[in-house]
Amino acid sequence: MIRARGVRKSFGSAIVLDGIDLDVESGEVVSILGSSGSGKSTLIRCMNGLEKLDAGSITIDDFDVSRPKDLAEARKRSATVFQLFNLYPHMTAVQNITLAPIQVLKRSRAEAEAAARTLLDSVGLGARADAYPAQLSGGQRQRVGICRALAMNPRYLLLDEITSALDPEMTAEVLNILAQLAKNGTTMVFVTHEIEFARTISSRIVFLDKGQLVVDLPTEEFFAADGGMARPRISQFLSKMRKD
Amino acid sequence: MRYTSFTPYDFVLLAQGLGVSLALFLATSLIGLVIGTIWAVIRFYRVPVLTPFIAFLAELLKNSPVLVQLFLVFFGLPALLKINVTPVEAAVITLSGNTAAFIYVIAVSAIESIGRDQIESARVFGLSRWQVLHHIIAPQAMAFAVGPLTGLLVNQLQVTSLISVIGVVDLTKIGNILNLRTLKPFIVWTIVGGLYYVTAKLVALGGAMLEKRLRAHTAWKGL
Repeated sequence: MIRARGVRKSFGSAIVLDGIDLDVESGEVVSILGSSGSGKSTLIRCMNGLEKLDAGSITIDDFDVSRPKDLAEARKRSATVFQLFNLYPHMTAVQNITLAPIQVLKRSRAEAEAAARTLLDSVGLGARADAYPAQLSGGQRQRVGICRALAMNPRYLLLDEITSALDPEMTAEVLNILAQLAKNGTTMVFVTHEIEFARTISSRIVFLDKGQLVVDLPTEEFFAADGGMARPRISQFLSKMRKD
Repeated sequence: MRYTSFTPYDFVLLAQGLGVSLALFLATSLIGLVIGTIWAVIRFYRVPVLTPFIAFLAELLKNSPVLVQLFLVFFGLPALLKINVTPVEAAVITLSGNTAAFIYVIAVSAIESIGRDQIESARVFGLSRWQVLHHIIAPQAMAFAVGPLTGLLVNQLQVTSLISVIGVVDLTKIGNILNLRTLKPFIVWTIVGGLYYVTAKLVALGGAMLEKRLRAHTAWKGL
């Protein structure tokens, strides 16, 4: 499980995370909602070790991401999909996907490539396996990004606003894949603005506001009138997001 | 009596001079490439003490005339350390150091041109700093650097002509010798200049071909 305890992070004088406690059990899909600047992405970046915590701790299967020795193991167990894809532009789709399995997991090239092509097939990109990122659409790039994460056989998938840079049509391409993964029981931490979609796939919803965890509720309860919606900050946020 | 006409042997002399210039150019470029790249990698790892020292050294080498550096090595070093430095040794030391300083600058900016986001994602997937440098940064930084590098090398080829001053018998020195004997400066220096020109063109051509290959992934398909 992923366990965050008392996580604090500030950039200069701006407090971005102000004491976050969060548990994600295996098989759960936990969506993190909140306005821009509420600390959602920073929380993900703390989970995968891209930001150092000021205080508190995050462990992934009891591996502490703040300890350099544990971080490598924590990173093997989790994989991140990024908002802006972060693909390697000088490598084809297959090369993007196989780099870490070959270099980090020490798979053979043939084995890693076969797995990558199977993954690309499963997201409808079998024919584009040898294309460079510049030759792919945004939605296709993000599907490659998802394959790159899945190729590591991660126990936890960390998804950082992965559809924010996509138009609605491409968003649908990507979300369809997530729905499938959720159905297969993949554990996901899903930072998103796609509220309706989060509602359909999440087991729990977490709402962040100004770096604090406001509520952490099962999805049903979060959207119930006497649950999360009873909180003015949340109903305000949801009605604003739905208008857009 | 003075023998002022050209002889077939003069072409042998010119070829020898060109050979010396080329050999020194290739050797010092190679040494400079290795040293400058190592300096940039040291900076990439932010090695304490060494990194600021290298930055300081590169500043010194970039901001003083090569001819002055050459005199310092050829006349200054022997006087200071009581050692013997031959003209060729002085030429190799000076040109390698000077080239290294400029290659360091190009390599640093090439490394820094690679987007932070790619490096972050590679690190998150568990690649070590060295693996990131090897698989993500180096291939793209090379594509970035080939252009400026070609320009630098074309310039460094011309700079080798300075070593004739301390007595290395390179192409320029041969030009000098032929000029003094034949008293036909226009013809001699046109030929010498032409030889430098052709060599520089070949260097530029090689660079352009390499760049095209390294940039294959960004090539426009269509449009």
